[in-house]
Amino acid sequence: MPTKAIDPPGITWLRVSPKYVTVRLVEWAIGNVIAVAVLSLPLILVLQGWWTWPPLWLAVTVPSLMLILAVWRLVLIPRQVRAIGYAERDDDLLIRGGIFFQRVMVVPYGRMQYVDIGVGPLERWLGLCTLKLHTASAGTNAQIPGLPESEGARLREQLSARGEARLAGL
Amino acid sequence: MKAAGDAGAAGVSPGNADGEWLRVHPASPFVRGWIAIAAIGYFFGRDIFERLIQGGPLIDDRMAGRAPWLLAAGGVILMLAIFGFIMTWYFTRYQVAEGYVRVKTGFLFRQQRQARLDRVQAIDIVQPLLARIFGLAELRFEVADAGESAVRLAFLRMDDARQLRATILARAAGVQADPESPDAAVQEAPEQAVLSVPPSRLVGSLLLSEQSVFVLLGAVGSVLLSVLTGNGGFFLYLIPAALGLAAAYWSSFNKGYNFTAAISPDGIRLRYGLLDTQAQTLPPGRIQALRVFQPPIWRIFGWYRMQVNVAGYGAVGGNGEGGSRTTLLPVGTLADVMTMLSLVLPDPGTPDAARVFTMGINGSNNDGGFVTTPARARLLAPLAWRRNGYVATETALLLRSGRWWRQLVVVPHQRTQSMALHQGPIARRFGVADLVLHTTSGPVVPRLIQADADEARALFQEQAARARAARKRQTSEQWLAQVAAETPAAEPPAPNEFPAPNEPLASRGPLAPREPLAPSQDGPQNG
Repeated sequence: MPTKAIDPPGITWLRVSPKYVTVRLVEWAIGNVIAVAVLSLPLILVLQGWWTWPPLWLAVTVPSLMLILAVWRLVLIPRQVRAIGYAERDDDLLIRGGIFFQRVMVVPYGRMQYVDIGVGPLERWLGLCTLKLHTASAGTNAQIPGLPESEGARLREQLSARGEARLAGL
Repeated sequence: MKAAGDAGAAGVSPGNADGEWLRVHPASPFVRGWIAIAAIGYFFGRDIFERLIQGGPLIDDRMAGRAPWLLAAGGVILMLAIFGFIMTWYFTRYQVAEGYVRVKTGFLFRQQRQARLDRVQAIDIVQPLLARIFGLAELRFEVADAGESAVRLAFLRMDDARQLRATILARAAGVQADPESPDAAVQEAPEQAVLSVPPSRLVGSLLLSEQSVFVLLGAVGSVLLSVLTGNGGFFLYLIPAALGLAAAYWSSFNKGYNFTAAISPDGIRLRYGLLDTQAQTLPPGRIQALRVFQPPIWRIFGWYRMQVNVAGYGAVGGNGEGGSRTTLLPVGTLADVMTMLSLVLPDPGTPDAARVFTMGINGSNNDGGFVTTPARARLLAPLAWRRNGYVATETALLLRSGRWWRQLVVVPHQRTQSMALHQGPIARRFGVADLVLHTTSGPVVPRLIQADADEARALFQEQAARARAARKRQTSEQWLAQVAAETPAAEPPAPNEFPAPNEPLASRGPLAPREPLAPSQDGPQNG
């Protein structure tokens, strides 16, 4: 996309593992294939002549709209994953994400209350993990998905150490 | 009554209230559990009472045989309840020592809780009506967990509660007990009344609230309906609604009545309440974010409401208890708002504070140094684009928004938790972005709406640097110790007395321009 990104200038972003695309693909498949299949059910029933109520055009439109949306999301996944980035600066951590709805977040090390690492079954199989930062604010929804396990562990240690060094009150 | 058991063991910090395990007032379980006792009494007494009124015999013939059993059962239940109360009372003990407040509760399931005194976010003394009749008060000690109170002591005698509050605040502020006279009670910090809300203005504000507009519209609508349909019966359905409204108005009136604010070295004191009274103390620097709000009708009289985010109070909204606790000023004039702002933000960080804040509250365009939504994006906010804006002083970020529902949000730099820039596809077309500041949960949600993308990005960077510099200046949670640390050149205050409590008060005029900032505060601002 030729539009200008919202990121602050002069930052080299670290990107998450490309394998995270697989995780997102599986999540996409679980969500969307089921949704499309369920929405296609009336179409089949109408075609078989068992149902009369939903007119054919409606029975075709709804699942096909869903299908188009699903395919659109599917196409976006690799770019969405590529858009996720984080950067460790001297005093804070930057996290960015999103293509259409972009978000750049800064979390000062001194404000971090604790750091979580979560691993789902699929992530474990791929050797990935998700890092979550918590501050005193519930609005801080800072997480970095799709980190390689070693990088996640390194980041966690790094963040904890830096947080301790710069710990501030509330 | 007082368990002086391990008073001697806590030799580290002597003092009368220190180190000793104390109990709450013996009457407190009855004051708290009076509803249970009343229910038992009602349950067993109702029949007898009714028969007495009807002139019948005290005990029905039918019941005569069973009466002793019923009485015995009632007595047992009553005894059990009272026994439970006494046990709860006996096993609830508290202690203030060595920088901690500790509370032990429960006799079957025991709980021991301790909270660090210098982590206090707010300390409240609450007096429900019944407790007030008995001269008792509940003390609530809030830490930053955004939920229930960390420590609730219900009930203490009013004087004891105030004494305990003074002790806790003095310890939290970093005042050490005097080793020469350890038994001397801590003096309550002197306070100076700042403003009060007259009842007439409170009533006026309630009558002119948005709620009243809906009441009026509803009334007009129902009259119209009844005229059109010729059916008057459905007014009956409005009775519950009217009752609910009356209750809501009453609650607001009860909570906001006699609102007074005072300042003391321990922080801001707020007192209010008609039947149930409450006294809040917010130590300096505990306010995470603040907003000045004016609904359109209030503009006729120039009234404003102020709300704050305090870490311990959490996000309880609405008209309830949390709503009143997060209210810094239920209704006030512009002068009142300025006074409160000067208390919350003693150093506004700009030489022209009165003008900047007034413009933030009432102004539009670039008055007072505000940077507004660029004109090219006015389609996104056709009414509010002249209002939406920000200005950063040395100490706080001011976010202005709203054309009709005017709002000014103030976030001190050292209270910024984290930040995020948001931009959706439409905002990108207009080259604008939103900046969201994350603060602890509460009624204030700081968000800069539709700022120029480049400016938002620059502000994002600068704000991160400012917050960093402000955090470095803030060294200690103990606010008096912090004052001492910030002025190392000056003569250090005597460690065992309150350092001249009246002196900082005198200099705290309403947003009086301060002397230029000390060089130590000119941290790296342009990172």
